[in-house]
Amino acid sequence: MSTSEIFPAFVNRKSFIELDGRARAQSLFDEGTAKELVGPFDRVESPWLAIQGVTPQADDGCIVIKGKIGGLSAVVVSLEGAFQGGSIGEVSGAKMTAALDLATKDSEAGKKTAAVLLLETGGVRLQEANLGLAAIAEVISSILALRQHAPVITVVAGTVGCFGGMSLAAGVSSYVVMTKEARLGLNGPEVIEQESGIDEFDASDRALIWAIHGGEQRVGMGEADALVEDDADKIASAIRGYVQAGPPSEHRSEQVKLYRDRIAALDTSKQIDPISLRQKWNGNDTTGGAR
Amino acid sequence: MSEHILQQRKSWTTRRDEKARRMRAVQAWMSGPVLHREKTIEALESVIVSGDRIVMEGDNQKQADFLSRSLVQVDAKKIHDLHLIISSISRPEHLTLFELGIAKKVDFAFAGPQSLRVAQLLEDGVLEIGAIHTYVELYARLLVDLVPNVVLVCAEQADQEGNLFTGPNTEDTPVIVEAAAFHDAIVIVQVNKIVDKLPRVDIPASWIDIVIEADKPFAVEPLFTRDPRHINDLQILTGMMVIRGVYERHQVQSLNHGIGFDTAAIELLLPTYAESLGLRGKICKHWALNPHPTLIPAIESGWVESVHSFGSEVGMDEYIRARPDIFFTGRDGSLRSNRVLCQLAGQYAVDAFVGATLQMDGDANSSTVTTGRLAGFGGAPNMGSDPHGRRHSSPAWLDLKTDPAPTARGRKLVVQTLETFAKGGVPAFVETLDAVEVGKQAGMPIAPIMIYGDDVSHVVTEEGIAYLYKTEGIEERRRALAAVAGVSPVGLKAKPEETAELRRKGIVAYPEDIGVHRLQANRSLLAARSMEDLVAWSGGLYQAPAKFRNW
Repeated sequence: MSTSEIFPAFVNRKSFIELDGRARAQSLFDEGTAKELVGPFDRVESPWLAIQGVTPQADDGCIVIKGKIGGLSAVVVSLEGAFQGGSIGEVSGAKMTAALDLATKDSEAGKKTAAVLLLETGGVRLQEANLGLAAIAEVISSILALRQHAPVITVVAGTVGCFGGMSLAAGVSSYVVMTKEARLGLNGPEVIEQESGIDEFDASDRALIWAIHGGEQRVGMGEADALVEDDADKIASAIRGYVQAGPPSEHRSEQVKLYRDRIAALDTSKQIDPISLRQKWNGNDTTGGAR
Repeated sequence: MSEHILQQRKSWTTRRDEKARRMRAVQAWMSGPVLHREKTIEALESVIVSGDRIVMEGDNQKQADFLSRSLVQVDAKKIHDLHLIISSISRPEHLTLFELGIAKKVDFAFAGPQSLRVAQLLEDGVLEIGAIHTYVELYARLLVDLVPNVVLVCAEQADQEGNLFTGPNTEDTPVIVEAAAFHDAIVIVQVNKIVDKLPRVDIPASWIDIVIEADKPFAVEPLFTRDPRHINDLQILTGMMVIRGVYERHQVQSLNHGIGFDTAAIELLLPTYAESLGLRGKICKHWALNPHPTLIPAIESGWVESVHSFGSEVGMDEYIRARPDIFFTGRDGSLRSNRVLCQLAGQYAVDAFVGATLQMDGDANSSTVTTGRLAGFGGAPNMGSDPHGRRHSSPAWLDLKTDPAPTARGRKLVVQTLETFAKGGVPAFVETLDAVEVGKQAGMPIAPIMIYGDDVSHVVTEEGIAYLYKTEGIEERRRALAAVAGVSPVGLKAKPEETAELRRKGIVAYPEDIGVHRLQANRSLLAARSMEDLVAWSGGLYQAPAKFRNW
């Protein structure tokens, strides 16, 4: 009996979460088509970290790879959650913006190029303050430009999750793919607890956090489009589908009236629980994740 | 005949009479053995007398927390200067008892989460320490010179007569109750629920005096759960070396593991790395171990024949219930754990103890007591020592016999693992243990050493293995340890030519000496790399506790 025969199929999967930022990006492309742009050997790194006693990284935690996905042109921008919490600084922000803008340029010239954003990030890099904030504004504006021509697909796989300014980037994407391990939210749990108190949000209560921010809840509410198992093949396949589909006829962030009406209709005199919100908003059908 | 006048003893039943007197004071608030919950504090004030020796059940897992929360509410003018005996000082209110003056002296074994505050209160003179013990040592003294007056324990369920079901987390309850019930002390138990019929009787009603249904289930911590997501490549390399250089080398068949990530890595390497070496059925068959979730893959792939446990582990109950061939279970199907018996098994019946430590000196003495923290020992010193009372032999025990004389004994394997540097670049190998200074400051007669160097047979670091049991003389021992201590202050004393000689003699082994490939040491070797994987291995029977869930 070989070892792998007795292993549960789930354990034998190729876990996407286990991969680092670069390997995640590479795993999405058609074989032999991936080419990294401004890679670590170009040594474009943050000039701000060293003077604050933080060791910079030669790719600034942002990996840009171009190639084909399902035979179509695509660029993947991946934030490395293990470097400074995947935070966006001047260099990583510029890399992401430039990649999106070049994709727009190619798309306008007739070579439709989709963008895939792998977001494991707490948002703006505090050490780079306003430069990070500016980067997020640029990223959002570049996404809005590209999504008219080709889809912008955000993937939040975990375990960092996607918070802060970059959650806005996820919000304006054409599609959002999540795993059940992933979290997506504007303010992270610790920030909410710090600002509004432990009665408002207990950041140590993991069940509560995933019931609010977790992939099952976000997809269940219709704020994300697909809940995919932590399996590199399944995630790649979901992304191929969205690249092929092209941009949706109407982006989620364009449906202003729908969401305003939904929020207006909520009864805030009572505590709203995650499951009933899912049912009310009737997004996608998921069952787990709320306790 | 001497001139002394033999004085006639007036009574041989003073303890019994005193117990009867105290119990009469609470009869009005009881129905059978069941005390009305709202009378708990008044009852404690009635059955406890200032200066009493009180055992408060609380180890590193379950806690009689309703009773400890109640005891802090008694009037300190009525009840004060108690002598508290507690295996683990785990909850904040345990120490509040001292701040309020309700308790004065403590004898304990472990103070993990409260170790900083214990050190502070000791310094302030608020608390007086009798001694720091190991678990079995503390329980043993309950039968000798620390016989209690009142014990406060917990169980899952009681029936109307007072029989107890302690459930999977039986742990310390039987020994505490035994020490009290048979020497006229008062046994008070908090239960989660009073029922008509118990699933099984763990402790009979005739040992119990007062039962209280608590306001909420007793607290229990998942202390033995390690998330595979946090196991790193160095820990995997160390694990591979232990498997090849210790388990395979000495044919270790029965063992206890500590709770570190090194040992979690070993458990997860058995179905993969060790399987590829053809070691299944040859090593790691019998365990004295809590139900570690990281052992699930090894159990499922046929590595494990038996596991006896100190306590249960949160989330493992249904898995254990479905694997009675492996675990010790009652007729009702749930786990029966027992800390004293498992400690004895871990001391006398296993080939090897493998544990991680925080700090080690050049003589291989180690301690988890570091500056400002008085953490205590728990059970590690019992298992991490060579019991000279052992008489039966096993292949591993005999393999450590270095003296050919027919009257020489074999030896238990005591394996310590540690990375040469701790987090933040602090060396783990040090000239002098922090414990020495802590001991001095706390006025202890000896330094709080957790495992003494002369008990340690092997030290495994990411650099290699020191086979200390093979060394001759203290100088060779020190050189062997230095050879695996990296660039720490201890390791810098190593000389290349001496290390080469030690490797030649087989006293030190680096990975390549025992066929371990460093480049193979990565997370893809783990049989489970996340909590989700462990759940999948268990077929959904393992229910990961909320604090370990990433979904």
